[in-house]
Amino acid sequence: METYLWITSVWGVYLALAVFIIGMGWRIYEWATTPKSAVRLGMFPKPATKTGRFFKMLKDTFIAPHSAKIEPAMWVFAFAFHVAALGAFVGHGRLIAEFPILPELLGHDGMNAFAAMSGSIAGVLMLVGVLFWIGRRTFGPYKSLSVPEDYLLLFLLFGVIVMGDHMRFVYGDIIHADTYRAWFQSLLTFKPMFPEKLLSGNVGWSLGTHMLFTDLFLIYFPFSKLVHTIGSFSSNRVRSE
Amino acid sequence: METVEMQTLAGVIDKKMNRQLKQYIDICARCAICKDACHQYVGTGDFKYLPARRAELIRQVYKKYFDKTGRFVPALYEARDPDDNLLDELYDSTYACTGCRRCMYYCPFSIDTAWILSVAKAVLIAAGRGNEMLGQLADAAIFKGDNVAMFEGVITSGFEEIAEEVRAITGNPDHGVPVNKQGADVLYVALAGAHSIRPAAVIFEEAGESWTISMFEAANYGYFYGDPEKARLITKRYIDEAVRLGVKEIVVPECGHAYRVAEFFYEAWSKEPMPFKVSHILEKVDDYIKTGRIKVDKGLIEGTVTYHDPCQLGRNGGKFEQPRDIVKAVTSNFVDLTPNRAEQWCCGGGGGIVAMEEFKDVRLKSGSKKVEQLKASGANILACPCENCRLQIEELNEIHELGMEIWQVIDLVVASMPLPGNKKSAGA
Ligand code: HEM
Ligand code: SF4
Ligand code: SF4
Repeated sequence: METYLWITSVWGVYLALAVFIIGMGWRIYEWATTPKSAVRLGMFPKPATKTGRFFKMLKDTFIAPHSAKIEPAMWVFAFAFHVAALGAFVGHGRLIAEFPILPELLGHDGMNAFAAMSGSIAGVLMLVGVLFWIGRRTFGPYKSLSVPEDYLLLFLLFGVIVMGDHMRFVYGDIIHADTYRAWFQSLLTFKPMFPEKLLSGNVGWSLGTHMLFTDLFLIYFPFSKLVHTIGSFSSNRVRSE
Repeated sequence: METVEMQTLAGVIDKKMNRQLKQYIDICARCAICKDACHQYVGTGDFKYLPARRAELIRQVYKKYFDKTGRFVPALYEARDPDDNLLDELYDSTYACTGCRRCMYYCPFSIDTAWILSVAKAVLIAAGRGNEMLGQLADAAIFKGDNVAMFEGVITSGFEEIAEEVRAITGNPDHGVPVNKQGADVLYVALAGAHSIRPAAVIFEEAGESWTISMFEAANYGYFYGDPEKARLITKRYIDEAVRLGVKEIVVPECGHAYRVAEFFYEAWSKEPMPFKVSHILEKVDDYIKTGRIKVDKGLIEGTVTYHDPCQLGRNGGKFEQPRDIVKAVTSNFVDLTPNRAEQWCCGGGGGIVAMEEFKDVRLKSGSKKVEQLKASGANILACPCENCRLQIEELNEIHELGMEIWQVIDLVVASMPLPGNKKSAGA
């Protein structure tokens, strides 16, 4: 198991982060160095001021009100997924350092209970979102429109989430953030090691698999349609040009 | 097909590449949220008309030839060659698209599928598969521009006949259709046909506008065909004329795409700023009514009037309120269609599709939403600016026995003006 952990949760993480950061940088560089279209592609209604257009872009990107209007069910699941993903992302911040303020208010156990609850909600919402998307892509026009990339991404994401949820629901009472933090901080300081607690039980297999999927997901991310995470801001900006 | 030929075709995409296009290609989530936005997909249920699918064909070729990951693992993206199979489907889905951009309105990333399809048209043209009808109409317009002298006599005598009709309507012997008037404020670029000139002339003359009529039409088949150079030359005909006459303003007719071409595309195509402003005729008419330069009576039109936003004028041109204000000035019985303005359904007749017989079937089926909307409105008169929209809706009106009257907005205005020769009125 230790070897598995070293591959997936040390070297894999370094590789994935390097590919992710360089890949995203390359993608942004490519966009930035391609000249803009001479034709204005905006549509109406269009706010009259620059500030107005900026806030419309933010609203269109984060809330997607038009999409909500035309396919409410899809919007609800997609919105839940993205908010949960954001929550999970913030939650993973505990791997780097304990949050300020909250633990003082809630106490050590209170903080872990709060994390367990919010993490569980986010984990379940993400799982439901991904299952909805997978289901949606199995029939009709959604299936016809899908290409292997779509299924690959959903499969990787499903792996990340299921294993994350597994750690939360199976080992959540035994192992808390501080244990994982010890491991993650060792990565950040380039002195990788695993706390005894992770090596002694089966939790190591879960962490390793969670990280395996995460590594693959991050490595593929910059080369996939998921670059919408950054591209959607400028494409929604063009809408009001 | 030869490999070299396919490489050349793929190269067209690369040549046309710009930042927006690249982002559209890179970020589409294939979520298909756009599917129910498209009247053609909704009307036919045919997968090839799903907006993202139309764009997907270009994406597949781009991935195969120009995208590093696509070249590395083509299977992941179903990346493929622009072979005959692909081009067959591309032809149908591209030339059928009316360019309404309703899909863009609803897409979470505002992906402009119609813009991606402008590249598809360039690919088709390079493959010798550009739509022939549109190409011929475009060439004829360019020919006319190069040989005005040949047509001048016929055109001016046509204007003289219309001037007679104008005088009969307004009862003013000084009224006419000025042509080649040096120093006029306004150059009005009409469509081919008296119907687009006569009511406009009545309004301009009654408003005391300093105007002159263009020898050319505002319709632009080069734009529909998908060749920016042809489209530029066609527009340039009246731009040069406007420069020669020294006008302050170009006014385009009710037609939707003519406005978009003049206001949004021409400067980008020609790479030089226009020395005058472009207005839509309904902006002018709205202004004449609001400032009292022309007088309209509310009582002259009988029945309930509704209004269709042509996509190029509304969602893509930003003129939502002026036409409505005009209609509301001539009737107290106005009802809006649902949905309206930016969410207005495309009637199915845009993008040059009414000129292409081969798309008649999908065109008529794609009108199903418009028919539903019109029925639900309970109106018996439809005010509809764009000529392409009118042709389509008139056909739908007949097939579905809606029993509606379809009017140009400027015709409604003239019918509401207290003029001696004005016997014809709507709804009567
Ligand atoms: C910020 C603006 C964002 C918008 C407007 C947006 C919008 C969307 C939309 C409309 C989908 C389509 C769902 C489908 O595939 O059927 C989607 C999918 C997805 N998004 Fe985002 N997203 C955003 C940011 C992000 C971020 C920050 C992430 C990071 C994790 C992300 C991850 C995903 C994933 C994993 C999918 C599933 C792809 C699939 O279905 O295969 N998105 N997003
Ligand atoms: S709605 Fe936009 S992102 Fe979704 S499939 Fe259509 S074009 Fe692509
Ligand atoms: S622009 Fe209009 S016709 Fe073309 S794909 Fe989009 S919704 Fe359909």
